[in-house]
Amino acid sequence: MPIPIRYNLRSLRVRWRLSLATALGIGLVVAVFVMVMALAQGLNATYVTTGDPRNLLVLRQGSTAESNSQIMRDEVTRMRYTEGIARDAHDVPLVSAEIILLVYLERRDGSGGANVLVRGMKSAGLALRPQARLVAGRMLAPGRRECVVSQRIADRFSNCQVGESFRSGATEWHVVGIFDAARTAYESEIWIDSDEARAVFRRDFFGSVLLRTDGPEGAATVKRRLEADRMLQVRVLTESDYYKEQTQMAGPIRFMGGFLAVVMSVGAAFAAMNTMYAAIGARTREIGTLRVLGFRRREVYVSLLGESVLLALVGGVLGCLLALPLNGVATGTIGWNTFAEVAFEFRITPGLMGKGMLFALVMGVLGGLLPARMAARKPVLDALRAA
Amino acid sequence: MNLAGFIARNAMRNKRRVILTTFSVALSLFLYTVLQTALREMTQPASSEDSALRLVVRHRVSLANVLPVKYHARINSMPGVRVCSKFTWFGGVYQDAKNFFPQFACEPDKIAPLFAEAEFDPREIADFIGDRTGCIVGVKTMERFRWKVGQKITLTGTIWDCSPELTIRGVYRGGVDETNLFFQHAYFDELTGDLGSVGTYWIKALNADVIPELIARIDRTFENSDAETKTETERAFQLSFVSMFGNIKMLIGSISTVIVFTMILVTASTMSMAIRERMREIAILKAIGFDGKRVVSMIVAESFGLALAGGIVGCFGAKLLFANVDIYALTQGFFLKFDVTPHILAGGMLIAAVLGVTSCAIPALTAMRATIVAGLRELD
Repeated sequence: MPIPIRYNLRSLRVRWRLSLATALGIGLVVAVFVMVMALAQGLNATYVTTGDPRNLLVLRQGSTAESNSQIMRDEVTRMRYTEGIARDAHDVPLVSAEIILLVYLERRDGSGGANVLVRGMKSAGLALRPQARLVAGRMLAPGRRECVVSQRIADRFSNCQVGESFRSGATEWHVVGIFDAARTAYESEIWIDSDEARAVFRRDFFGSVLLRTDGPEGAATVKRRLEADRMLQVRVLTESDYYKEQTQMAGPIRFMGGFLAVVMSVGAAFAAMNTMYAAIGARTREIGTLRVLGFRRREVYVSLLGESVLLALVGGVLGCLLALPLNGVATGTIGWNTFAEVAFEFRITPGLMGKGMLFALVMGVLGGLLPARMAARKPVLDALRAA
Repeated sequence: MNLAGFIARNAMRNKRRVILTTFSVALSLFLYTVLQTALREMTQPASSEDSALRLVVRHRVSLANVLPVKYHARINSMPGVRVCSKFTWFGGVYQDAKNFFPQFACEPDKIAPLFAEAEFDPREIADFIGDRTGCIVGVKTMERFRWKVGQKITLTGTIWDCSPELTIRGVYRGGVDETNLFFQHAYFDELTGDLGSVGTYWIKALNADVIPELIARIDRTFENSDAETKTETERAFQLSFVSMFGNIKMLIGSISTVIVFTMILVTASTMSMAIRERMREIAILKAIGFDGKRVVSMIVAESFGLALAGGIVGCFGAKLLFANVDIYALTQGFFLKFDVTPHILAGGMLIAAVLGVTSCAIPALTAMRATIVAGLRELD
């Protein structure tokens, strides 16, 4: 018969200060792990949710990002009438030639500035990105120096609210609307008219071309056609693949989270071990009594190990609760690929919390293993004789 | 036995606990040291007396916009300019997209005066100037790819659609960054079809006094033109990249705080455990004539020693580790150096000292206040 768990609960409660300190220690380790991983998760989620598998993105051959690609005007014209490209209600091919620029803006909180990605496009670009919808103001009118700003950029940078304007070079850009892009990478962009962009920034080429096909199969066909065309020196990939490629950015953050968690959890396991040794040392006689009552070595062992795990799990829950308020908090960092600010949110998923609890479990087992073994091995008479 | 010996014996009576506590303090301070060093490397770009004289001229809108080549002569003739070089970020890779390192197209005869703190071999510089497709590479990058002087390498452009085929003409050592590759702007212009544009201009000023005036003069000269400029010191230029990282500084700072807090919690609970179990002994000490202050100082000394031992293992362990590890290769170029500075070490040791005192404050007070009779009655 196993030793009732109530025994362990009461033991933990008797030395509640020590138990609480240990649980809190483990909890803080779990909290740090969950927070750092939530950062990586948020960054990843931004890219994974962006992109439609039906959309194809065309870049110059050899280029890795939209911001350093060049597509000439005649190449765009040639691409436009490739077979297999979807058409809109007016039978116009859904092709959007876009131009990517960077603008240096000051942060609202006064902590310096950052590059923000500005995308010049026509109305086809909007049709290709149904995720984006206007939440304030109006859409920009072609032929004017107007822009619409994503909600997150408007929140983070100064002069980006409707009615305000920011200067870039000699040009004043008027913010006429704010859009929400359902947490995709477009949430880090400012959109302007592509002809205005080319005029103001003196570019006679485009950066990339986004086009719609009828489905994954159609996308593969169009991709083959475009790449086979000798007149075009282009690299074609689905929009979702392009954004998936960028998830590698979260790599260093993940590494940091893992490194921190492993080193800290070794420290916390030491602390748990200390606590368990003390807890067991103080009730050696009690354990001897349990053995006399007929509980076997194995049962004592399991019970004490369980006590340590219980303590760690309480810590794990505490840690998750501590980290939870961070869920949804917006932040931003530099995207290495485009060299522009990427805005995203901390994202704490059930899976992530599960991983945190797993960490706590491991710490509990590691911390309880040796002390529990020591207690279970002690001869009954020695234990009873202990002071 | 003297007092110090008594304290040491007392501390060591439960070896397991001493080791576990010391190691958990050591691990926490190790982490603290690593985080603070990482933060410093990321937010404090290396600088020197020489780099304080360097200015960077870029397009006002952003770095991705280029400047016309005609600005070169204008800037060159301004008072206070010692040298001015075209300086264009190439952003290519060597063989594979993973093999990324900084490359710049520049003027070969300007490199040595511009980066006077780095060591160049005058003969290699002469070779570089004489070879239109030559390049000079920092020693770290040379080691990373096991290149040799005289070797031919091909870079693949990711921004510019061209692949320069370069011959390594020399190596430089020292300076703020030992990973750069410099090749001739003339060759770059040839490959890109003479765009007539330059990424940035790098200037070395005559002395520190002329800098404010020079910055104002350059930006005023090109005001209201197609390409307005923003001129700043090298340090300000690098700090603008740091600010793009966003609130990483806050993140690392808060993690460090959590670590220190956890540490105090753990050590404090261990210390109170250690003291509670010897309440009877403390009462005996008092009974034979030790006063409360003496008892407290003994407890504080024990806890202080424990924390300091942990601090030494953690902080100096980190220093030792990073002195013997090639951090540049390990992080694939993310960190150039990983110097655990005396400043950071001192910070870590200070935390250890504070930890030693605070963690035993409550148990020591309890021990001091306890009456002899109550202490003697204590069972365990």
